[in-house]
Amino acid sequence: MARQKAHSLINAPAPAPAAPPTATLILDAGAHTLKAGFSTAGTCHIIPNCLARSDRDRRTYIAADLASCRDFGELAVRRPVERGYIVDWSGEKAVWEHVFAAGGVLGGVVAAETTLVLTEQPGAPAGTARMSDEMVFEEFGFAGYYRALGPALNAYAPSPFLPSTAPPPPPGTPLECLLVVDAGHSHTTVTPLYHGRPLHPACRRLDIGGKLLTNHLKQLLSARTFDVHKEVWLVNEIKEDACFVSQHFARDLERTWKHNGSPRTKVDDGGDSIVQDYILPDYETITRGFTRPHDPTLTARNRLGLGLATTSTPATAPKEHILTLGNERFVPPELLFTPSDIGIPSAGLTGTVLQSLAALPASLRPAFLANIVVVGGTALLPGLVERLRAELRARVEEGTEVRVARAGDAVGNCWLGGARMARDGGGLGRVVVTRGEYFEHGEGWVRRRFAGKGVR
Amino acid sequence: MATGPLRFRTPHIEELPTTGSKQSPNYVYMAVSGQQEDPAKNWGTNNRKRARASVGKQTDQQREALSARQQREVERRIKDLNSDYKPALEVVVPKRDGGAGVGSAAKAGKTPNTKKILASGKTFTHHLEDEEAEIARTGRRDGDAEAPPATHRASKTPLARRKAREDSSLSGSPAPVTPMAPPPLPRSAQALLPSSNAMEIDVEDDDDEYDSIPALPSEAEMEALLNAPPLTYNQARSAPPPPGAPPPRRFCETCGYWGRVKCMKCGAMTCSVACKDDHDQFKCLKMYA
Repeated sequence: MARQKAHSLINAPAPAPAAPPTATLILDAGAHTLKAGFSTAGTCHIIPNCLARSDRDRRTYIAADLASCRDFGELAVRRPVERGYIVDWSGEKAVWEHVFAAGGVLGGVVAAETTLVLTEQPGAPAGTARMSDEMVFEEFGFAGYYRALGPALNAYAPSPFLPSTAPPPPPGTPLECLLVVDAGHSHTTVTPLYHGRPLHPACRRLDIGGKLLTNHLKQLLSARTFDVHKEVWLVNEIKEDACFVSQHFARDLERTWKHNGSPRTKVDDGGDSIVQDYILPDYETITRGFTRPHDPTLTARNRLGLGLATTSTPATAPKEHILTLGNERFVPPELLFTPSDIGIPSAGLTGTVLQSLAALPASLRPAFLANIVVVGGTALLPGLVERLRAELRARVEEGTEVRVARAGDAVGNCWLGGARMARDGGGLGRVVVTRGEYFEHGEGWVRRRFAGKGVR
Repeated sequence: MATGPLRFRTPHIEELPTTGSKQSPNYVYMAVSGQQEDPAKNWGTNNRKRARASVGKQTDQQREALSARQQREVERRIKDLNSDYKPALEVVVPKRDGGAGVGSAAKAGKTPNTKKILASGKTFTHHLEDEEAEIARTGRRDGDAEAPPATHRASKTPLARRKAREDSSLSGSPAPVTPMAPPPLPRSAQALLPSSNAMEIDVEDDDDEYDSIPALPSEAEMEALLNAPPLTYNQARSAPPPPGAPPPRRFCETCGYWGRVKCMKCGAMTCSVACKDDHDQFKCLKMYA
């Protein structure tokens, strides 16, 4: 929707005289966390990108305040970023102001002297792009702005395939061929990048992300153990602590078969047990749950009503609430590879990667198959990279080299790429839109610039 | 067969001999296809099940009704999985303590545009539908300067599923006059790509058994690929698996093991008798959307 905003620019605040921006701020706004930091910093600050209200505490926590929250029970979490795009700007503005505040983690951000590099997901509707551009310039008043495609920034981060002893490439150079699998909170995108530029016809998106896995785990637990359908934060922690991607789904399902609770329940399988006990937090003594190898005697005592007193712990010891996790550990992450288990008509992660490759010219495919980098929060699931590698190898013809690796810092890799790109002043200077240009040419022009069209 | 004279007048019955007939017993073995109805097995069921099992045919209507319900159930589940926790929408931004004078102006937005943005309650689906409507109306993506030659209704099928179209908007995208692409291909990459002039390829006879390696795309092709317009949200979605893929796996609703037995009423699968009893008692048709 390219309409010129000339009539509204008359009332806009006059842009300040152009002082060159002194700092560059990289913001990777994800649905779960916000990765923020100046380009000169080595690592980013990972801040929960949400507003949370706890009815028990009767407090509303914004962003980083959540670290001071003691009671995460029945936490109502409002996320301004929906499906990877910022749609709820009143919420996001509160989060950003909290982050930019003088006492915040960044040490204060003066927007008028800062260039902002903001990431966005591929496939953004025009409305969200327009909102971002207008908010950045008109509300926050940044001096310069570049809206980058999130996965594209990963090309500027060091490659995980090189040995760590190799010297890192100079900051502004992107990797030549890279296939980025960004497994995030809202969805998983597959983006082939050539010298840091995305090959759009081959970008694919799988609508399964950490949020869907958490919701599925919530349903499984509510059906089989305690009713946790209000406890989103808790189930997210359970997923992060206990879930993994199984390499042999059928075999692991056999190993965790409960035999309908009969005494023949076999849980130990040569010491390599899958079944674990999760100790739930009670937010008085235990603030964060943790896992423990399964102890069938405890659950038996629980069932018999004897409480948790054993010979070693006195009867006055605080009670523990134990969840026994069997196939709940690997069934939700299996959805990433077989979405048809739940009825979602998509091909699974391997299938999506292959679809993306099929849209590329045949000669380029080996180059991208040998450079697959997995980033994002959901990529932290143990076993995901190995499973993807094994499945790809099985489906790609013999002799092709398949290299899949998780980036060193999966959550912050996109930010790191953005920071390294920003350190090379010339490269960034070519693509950044300054405040003066925004008010002179209007928002539609800026949007076309970021889409790669139009004249500099 | 006449058995002797009867007291009352009977019609004349005569068995006509056929060529192959010989005296046969009054029973015969026959091959019957389909399941035999064992009355003991069907007790306690209603007519629907009996009809389905014994007659061996489920009318198309019944099959459709069962699968429509299952389909609704599946879609409801997927929507549930994608939803956020409802009370989260009511979390209100707290007022900031300091700067009472700044508070009101900053909260509402500094310019008319930002006021509209901060006050808008649009969700992502609204924006998505706005964009699809715009494309359908004008045939033009937001970034394009001109409309592509053929306008057609925006399709929600993922790109991978579409048949190749002559007049798709992708093939007709206007190449920008002077492409400004961040950042342009460095010199080293341009040197590696073969130019569009003919190259000398040294083919040895020994290499005949190897498959020919497809040539790298030329620089012009590469530029075209890089400058292709971005896909819309719906175009970029991953396509369903090909029809030859194995059928979706079903799991037990109660414990999560493989599903072996299908519930007749609601179509859910369970793995064993114990799980099935639990399903019948607590879950079968008890949860409604």
